[in-house]
Formats: sequence, C-alpha cells, structure tokens
Amino acid sequence: MIGFLSPVVLLGLLALPLLWWLLRAVPPAPSRRRFPGVRLLLGLKDPESTPDHTPWWLLLLRLSALAAAIIAFAEPVLNPRGQLAGEGRLLVLMDGGWASAPDWRARLARVEDILASTKRPVALHLLTDQPPAEADLGFTAAQDLSPIISALTPAPYAPDRAGFAAWLGNNPQPDFDTIWLSDGMNDAAPLASALQAQGSLTVVTGLEPALSLLPARLEGEILVTPVHRVAGGPARRVPLLAIGPAPDGVEQVLWRSEASFAAGETDTTAAFDMPFELRNRIKRIALAEGTSAGGVVLADSGLIRRKVALYTPRDSQEGPQLVDPLFYLKKALEPSSQVIRGTLDELLLAVPDVMILADVAELPSEEATRVQAWVEAGGTLLRFAGPRLAAASSGIGAQDPLLPVRLRAGGRQLGGAMTWATPKTLRPFPDESPFAGLLPPAEVEISAQVLAQPGPDLSGKVMAALEDGTPLVSAARLGEGRIVLFHVTANAEWSNLPLSQLFVDMLTRLSVSARGGAAAAEELAGQNWLNVRALDGFGTLTDADPSVAVPGEVLATGPRDAATPPGYYQSFEREVAVNLLRAETLPVPLFGLPAGVAFEGFENQPETPLKPPFLLAALLLLSLDILASLFISGRLSGGVQVALVLLLVGGGEPGVAQEDARALLAANNTVLAYVLTGDSRIDEISRTGLFGLSRTLTQRTSIEPLDPISIDIERDDISLIPFLYWPVSDQQPPLSPAAVNKVNTYFRNGGLILFDTRDAQLGAGSINGNALQRLTAQLEIPPLAPIEPDHVLTRSFYLLEVFPGRWEKGTLWVEAPSRLTTIEGAPFRNLNDGVTPVVIGANDFASAWALSPQGRPLYPVGQGLRGERQRELANRFGVNLLMYVMTGNYKSDQVHVPALLERLGQ
Amino acid sequence: MSQTPQSLRAEADALSGALPPLLADAERLAANVAMGAHGRRRAGSGESFWQYRHAMPGDNLASIDWRRSAQGDALFIREREWEASQTVGFWVDPSKAMAYHSAKNPPKGDRAKVLALACASLLSRAGERVSLLDTPAARPGFGQGKLQQMAVALAAKEPRPDYGALPMPKGVRGGHRVFISDFMGDEADIFPALHAHAEAGNDGALVHVLDPSEEAFPFDGRIIFESMGGLIDFETRRAKALRDAYQARLEARADQLKSWAHRAGWHYLRHNTGTAPQAALLWLFNVLGVDR
Repeated sequence: MIGFLSPVVLLGLLALPLLWWLLRAVPPAPSRRRFPGVRLLLGLKDPESTPDHTPWWLLLLRLSALAAAIIAFAEPVLNPRGQLAGEGRLLVLMDGGWASAPDWRARLARVEDILASTKRPVALHLLTDQPPAEADLGFTAAQDLSPIISALTPAPYAPDRAGFAAWLGNNPQPDFDTIWLSDGMNDAAPLASALQAQGSLTVVTGLEPALSLLPARLEGEILVTPVHRVAGGPARRVPLLAIGPAPDGVEQVLWRSEASFAAGETDTTAAFDMPFELRNRIKRIALAEGTSAGGVVLADSGLIRRKVALYTPRDSQEGPQLVDPLFYLKKALEPSSQVIRGTLDELLLAVPDVMILADVAELPSEEATRVQAWVEAGGTLLRFAGPRLAAASSGIGAQDPLLPVRLRAGGRQLGGAMTWATPKTLRPFPDESPFAGLLPPAEVEISAQVLAQPGPDLSGKVMAALEDGTPLVSAARLGEGRIVLFHVTANAEWSNLPLSQLFVDMLTRLSVSARGGAAAAEELAGQNWLNVRALDGFGTLTDADPSVAVPGEVLATGPRDAATPPGYYQSFEREVAVNLLRAETLPVPLFGLPAGVAFEGFENQPETPLKPPFLLAALLLLSLDILASLFISGRLSGGVQVALVLLLVGGGEPGVAQEDARALLAANNTVLAYVLTGDSRIDEISRTGLFGLSRTLTQRTSIEPLDPISIDIERDDISLIPFLYWPVSDQQPPLSPAAVNKVNTYFRNGGLILFDTRDAQLGAGSINGNALQRLTAQLEIPPLAPIEPDHVLTRSFYLLEVFPGRWEKGTLWVEAPSRLTTIEGAPFRNLNDGVTPVVIGANDFASAWALSPQGRPLYPVGQGLRGERQRELANRFGVNLLMYVMTGNYKSDQVHVPALLERLGQ
Repeated sequence: MSQTPQSLRAEADALSGALPPLLADAERLAANVAMGAHGRRRAGSGESFWQYRHAMPGDNLASIDWRRSAQGDALFIREREWEASQTVGFWVDPSKAMAYHSAKNPPKGDRAKVLALACASLLSRAGERVSLLDTPAARPGFGQGKLQQMAVALAAKEPRPDYGALPMPKGVRGGHRVFISDFMGDEADIFPALHAHAEAGNDGALVHVLDPSEEAFPFDGRIIFESMGGLIDFETRRAKALRDAYQARLEARADQLKSWAHRAGWHYLRHNTGTAPQAALLWLFNVLGVDR
C-alpha cells in the first residue's frame, strides 16, 4: 500500500511527454578528434541511416530519471497510516498475561499504531490488572496514553477475563467499542459477550500462541520436561535450555535439549540426559526463544538427587539384614538419592550432602573434628539413636558437638515386658516444625527412645515430640550446616516409625531425599510460604517482597495471580519452586467467542517513507545517463568502458585486496607490528619505536624488516607476524572472546608479544599494571618469573645484563623456567623448546628505540653520555629480543658446541 | 652573440635531453639487427681478407703472400674484399601528422625517427655513408659524429606543415634513398618527388608508417575529425558508417605506393606502430644491403 504526502507534485508527470518531444529533437553534441586520416575522409557522405536524434533507450533513461525525481518529491510512503474507522469511545484491551510476553513488543507496537491512528477517546486496560476502583474506565485522548505504553509489562500469570466481565456487569458503562489484543488462549465467552453488549468488539489475534512448559520430572537418570502448545500445527522443533550456576556461581546454560512436536501434536517432552553433577545444579529450564513466565520451569531441590553417605562403623559385624540399622534408611533413600557407603575417610572425600550415622556413639576424635568441619561447611548430619548411643551417653559430661541436644544416660523403655508404660504415639507436629502438615498415623508407636537433658533451649530444638512431650526429633545448627537426631533407631527395634510412610516423608522434609517432580500439594499444605523470588512475565527471576505469607493450600491448588506469582517460596529451611502451570491448568485455544466479533491480524507494518530510494534511483539514472551520453558521442574509449564495467561489477573488491596486500606484505617480508591502543600518541611512539628498531636491526643484523605495521587486535590477522609490541594503556577496552582466542592461538603457534606497561614499575599498584592484568586476564599466559641472568635473551646477539628502555629500573618478566639442569657444571636452561610467548616489561622500550625518518632519536633517554649508553643498551635489547623471536632457543643450544666439537674430533 | 652562455646551455641541455633517448633507442634497435660490417662479397680494396689466389703474371710482387706461398710450391696472392661505401639518404616525414598516436602506441614520427637512426647506425658501422635529406645533416658522412648530427636534426623543433612533402633530389646522383612517412599528404606532394628521385638514378625504399587506429578506424558516433594542425576538419554523425570507405581509400593510397615502387624497382614496406620495429629494420637493412 503506497500513499503520497504531496500528491500535487505528481502533476509534474504530465510534462514528461513534452520532454520526450524536446529530447528527441536534440542530437548528442559531437566530439572533436584529431586524426591525420581526415584527409582521406574528405568528401565522404554520411550514409542515409544515420540517426539524427537521441536513441530511444537513452530517452527512456532520462524520462525515468525525471519521473523518479518527481515521484520522490511527491513523498511516497509505504503502508500509510490510515484512520481507524468508527466514532465514539474506544477501549483497548490487552490480555497482558504471560502468554503475551514472547511477542510483547509486537503487541505494544500494535497498540501504539491504534493510538496513533485514532482521535477517539481511548482507554487502555490490561486484563491482568485489577479492574479500576472507580466505576469508570478513564477514557482520555489517545496521545495522553502514548507515554505509558512503553512502560507496560506482561504479568507472570493469566489474564482475569471473568473478573473484568463481572466488573463490567457491576459497573454499567456508556457504550464503547473494544479492540481486544488476545493471547489466543482459553475461554473468552463471558468477557466477549459483556463487551459486545457495550459496542462492537474487534479481537486481534494471529500471533502464534506462546508455548508452555510443565515442571520437569526425573525418569530414571533422565530429566524430562513436558512442553505444551495450545494448538496443533505443523511439525516444529523447540530448543530448550537448562540453566544453572557454574562452579564460580555465575549462571550459565548447562545443557541444551530440543522438544519436537509432530504435526498436529500439542504435547511433547524434551529430555535432558545429562551428568548427575550437572543436573543437580539446574536452577531452571527455559525455552530458548520466546520466553515467558509459562516458558520457564523453576527447579528446586526436587530435581536434586542428593548424595547421602551412610556411615558404617569399622567394627560393624555381620548381622541379620532386617536388624541392620541402615536397612530401612537404604530402602527409603535409594530410589531418590545417591547412596554411598564406606569408611569415614572415603565418605568425606566424596563430599556428600547428607551423612547418616545410625547408632554410632562416638567418633574417634580426629574423625569427629573432620565431620564437624564438614557440617560447619554446610553438611547435614543425620543421627539415629540406638543401644550404643544410649549406653555411651551415660558417661558424657559435656555436650557432644555432633549431637543437637545433651542426652540423658540410658534412654527409656516404653512398653515391653518389664515396664508399665505403654508405647507412645506422636504428638501432632507443631506449626513451626519442618514436619508441619504431615499427619502422624495413629499406628506409629515408639517403644524406646533416648532422652534429652532438659534445658532452656531444648524446646527450640525439638522438631517432633511424643505425646508426652519428650523429643522424637531434635535439631541444631552448627555453622552452615545442621545436625538432626532421631531419638529412635533407624530400624524397627525401638519403634515402627521406619516402617511407615511418615518416615519417608520426614526424610523428604529434611531435604534428605528428592521427590522428583513438582512440590506435591500435601507437602505445601499446612505451612505458610513466603515468596522470596518471583518470575516476571518474561520469565526472568526478580527479588520479591517476602512480606505476605501464602498458605500452602493456596499455592498448591489456587490459580496464580498477583499475590501468588510463580517463583521460589520459602518456609523455614525449605525452599520450593512454584511454577506457573500445572497439568490441569494448561492453556487451551481461545474459544467461546460469540458471533459478530470482528477479527484482525497482527500484521503491523510501520510507515516507511519512500522518498530516499526514489531520489537515489533518480540520481543513479542520471549518472547512467552521463555515461550513456558519453558512450553515444564516442567519448568513452574501450579501456574506460571496461574499467567502468569492472567498477560496477566488482565494487567490493578493494577492501579484500587491501587485506590481502597486508597479509602478502607480512608473509613475504619480515615486519614488526604493534598493537593499536586507541591513544594516538602512544600509537605514534610505538610506530616510531618499531621503525627505529627495524632500522637498527637492518644496520646490525641480517634481520631486515620493512616499515612496521599497526594491528587492530580485534580485526586484523596476526598469524603472519612474528613479533607484536603491545604498549599497555588503560584506555584499551578488554578483548573480545574472538580476539582472546586469536591471541591464544598466536601464543600456541610460536608468536611473541612484548607487553610494555611504560611506567617503570610492574605490579598491582600502577594504573597500567592493572590495565595489563585486565587485558591479559583471559589469555593463556604461562607462569612468569623475572628474567634469569642466564636466559637466552641475555645472549642471543649481544651479551646483556640489563634491559633498559626509556627507564632502566623495571623488571623484565618472561616465562618461568620449568626446570634447571646442570651440564658439566654449567647451568643449562632446558625449556619446552624454550621460547617464552610473552615478555613483559615496564621500561617504555619504544621511546628508547624511536627514530625519526632521518635517523635521529625522538625521545630523550637519561642524561648525557650515560643516557646515550642507556639508549644503546635499549637498542641492544631490541636486537636481542628480535634475534630471540627469530631463532628461538638456538643460542641456548650453543652451550653444546664445545661438546659437539669434541665429539666430532674423535 | 645574442645568446648568453646560460641560454645556450639551456638549449643544449634541451637538445641533448631529447637526443640520447632517440639515439639510444636507435642503437638498441640496431644492436638487435647488427650483423657487423657487411662486405661486398667480392674481392676489392677493403681491409678484410677475401681469398687467396694463384699469382698470375703481372701481379705486383709486393702483393704476394709469402707466408701462404711458403706452404707449397705455388705463389699465392692474398686478395682483400672490396668494401666500397655507398650513400644512403634518409628522409623522415617531419609533419605534424606524424605526431599522431593512439592509446599506448608511440607516435608515428618517433617510430620513423628511430627506424631511420637505427638503420643509419647499422649502415655507418658497415662503412656506408648516411645522410638526412632536406636537413642540416644532408651531407653524407659516417661515424658517431654523423649519427649525432642526424639525431640533432631529427629532434629539431621547427614550424612544420600538417602533412609532409617529399624533398626533390639535389646534386648528387646515384645512391640509395629511404623515405619514411605516413604518405597521408596530397598526391602532388609525393609522387612527383618520387619520380624525380627515381630519374636521378637513385633506388631505395618507402616505409609507410601507420598508426593502428589509422588502419582500423575504431570510431563511432558524432565526431568532428581535424587534421593535426587543425587546418582541415570533417564532421560525421556516425563515424562507424564511414569506416569501409575510409579503409578503401587508405588501401588505395598504399596500393598506389606499392605499385609505383614495384615499377621503379624500389621497395615498399607498410609498417604499423602497433608492431615491433625490429622486423621493419631488418627488412630495411636487407633491402639496402643485398642489392647490387
């Protein structure tokens, strides 16, 4: 659709036929040409067929150039913005839920378009917002709404259409028309009919509905994430990312997977078959493209298979399996955790999440210290009582740091032949206990326990108690970790607790075992949860305001809304991930729209002015016309024609050619190169410095470099350059990954870079030193050491002891020697082929090397004759360095020469 | 003397500045073709040995070659080759038309001068006497000095006509003539002079030097052609259409020259500046040397 802003100008097109006639009449101007053969031409007649007017194609060219210019000045625009039809008030309604997030920009653009193309009073409402408090939608001028549009964000939950329909029902409005930007999901019936009662309803759909993910579950060792789309369509592949912290704590993509929908299929799964350690780090799984709150599933400890260490005392004897204190623990844990057994040494090496000591009275003191350190570092120590613990606690005076409470000697028996007491059942779990909400079955009975010494802090440590108030489970924090003691045995000897489902649930609550899948409703129930981090509509985690506690039942079964956004919820020790969607809340395609609803698509093409391209075309045609005129009048010789054609065909060549020329120069000659720092003064010093060094080398050695070249480390190829001088400036930006890669490859293949901090002192303090550290942070630089007096650099050409530049104090750093060997009493440096990839100095070498084109030093060095000596030494260092670059450890091999000669003589 | 030493020096510099390249070109060209001094292939009064022959009665005793004769009983006389020198007069068309050249080709005049000097150099080495007709160097001579003189005469810048007219013969009869020109001028400027030379007992060669563009006529469109001096012009609206007629006229002129040369016992060569000059020089030298 093309419109014109100044259509009057188009009348100019009428003048074209006149121009046609005019141009036809004027023949091209003749050219004058000196030609001796003119004498032979005299008297010849031009043949009859001579064209005496402009050829038709030239005319056409000129006319189209003119037409293009006229059209350009009529200011054509593509997709001109029309006026929205209709009168009266207009409500723009956006679903605004998570499903709108993937194409939020398109939606906003559409709304802007609507606002820009109407002069009607407009109101804008997001269905995820609360309906207005007043009984008024707040219709206003369209341009007043424009500023707030860009600030709108989608909500991490579904739009409340029914709520708005109810509000409309309760607050009758004067008539208005509605444009409803729908996300293409779920029931639209009540709202649509309510809106239709007010006026016309236009539903804007057409964008592909958002994909949604369901919480991942473990199937064996494979993590499976269900993926859902609301409507079947063509076959499609959807990339998914598993995101979690790297070992350094920075979040990164841990794994990639793909879900593929067959044609017409709405549900599929993506499998993450990844290593156990990696999987335990997953924080969330998200769609790689088009993320939204529904396209992210948060993982909590449910996905983590914990490493549980079962400690077997060394003296544990063979016994019947069913009375093995660890048997029930193993049964309870093995389906959901990684259980390892072994000696304490082995177990601690494996860094378990949880360590279980069943009826272990006392650990040897050294081991106890190590276990205590491990707990303080964040481990969970789970202990079970038993005859041995009961017996040992008789002698304990001070509290064992590996027990949460001080125990009374002996324990007690409740029930049995020798006692009056009957076995006790459990008291309901208190609200503040991590077991809150679990229902103790009546048949669980405790017949023996160890007792805690009463004390002022005891009640705070009790997590579960018997009906008489004596603790069944007590816990205490120790450092980052905690110690939990079950006052009964882990087998069925003292109670039938290990036989019940409650035992498994309690272990789960203690985060000992993994459930897999989403937090079950019954786990959430009975506790109040605080939202600590919430997803926004785009699926990004943000810190939430954890001020309002949400009952677990609401979290488990209620719909997500502003009060219960998806995110992480915390209650006591436990943190659960609450996701947006559950299997029963999966979205379905938009339905229930009544008849009489108008539909619009999202095709939203911005207004594009076409004036520039038309003007450009006119200009091009005119320049073509110039060439054509020249051609007609014979003033274009063959060579120029060919050149023009080449120019038109191969216009892009010169850049490549320049790059090639550079590579050829470097490949065919020796050139020194310096890295551009972005500071023109430093670059100039580098250039003149290397120019001076090149000249010195040419005079003194067989290395005869051409003029130095500059290297943009981000762009230029450095593979052909043997030596790079890199002055360090704090203005240089950090290297891009590509450049880091390039430089590392350069190091590996034998290149040498001289870093020069130019500040006479190396180390942490100086600005340039810090800049150097920043620049080289990611480079593969070997361990460095101050240069040794017998390094090859000291004797590759001149014998040197110092390495001055403009300064003389700075230390020169090279790759640290890997090992020293002594041959016939002389130290012999036997390096890995010997050549250090970096030399780091601080002496501002380039300034000392720098020469003017006339061969005069450019920068002062030292004072008087001593300064000249220093400059000479700096030059000698440069020569030595380049010799070292060119010959590597060749001079180091010279130590062998006497031995070789001697051998040859024999 | 109106000339100050400075102006004289500047003039000399300007002159010799043009001279060495021309002479050097000519020498280089000549070196490619040089065959050394060519003898007359008959006994005579030259320097070099020609043959031994038995002494006959009447021979001068002094001419007996005693060394040869001592080898046998018969007496031998050492004959020398006859090396008569001849005069070759060159004429290089000095007209402005000769300054014409297309694209990368050298001007016709340069080619003509180089050919003339190179040929003169070769002949001079062979002991012939050379001259440059219708110029200050018209007096026959040989040696480096003569060549220098010819080069100076060739390089001289003087007011020149649009088209060259062949000089009429003066004085000396006999000898060879070499006319190098594009022969674009009026017939009246060419053929009467040729007839006169032929009648004067000269023989010689015509070198018809043409630029490739003069042969191919690669022009099109609306063009006003002018002579090099601008005296003649001709306008065409479609140059391409004239090509055939032009080429026919050019061929006619060439044929005219060729047939005249044939009838007069002269030699005719058409030379294109787009080709190398060696072939032309070789031809010219052979034509002058083999004769007689």
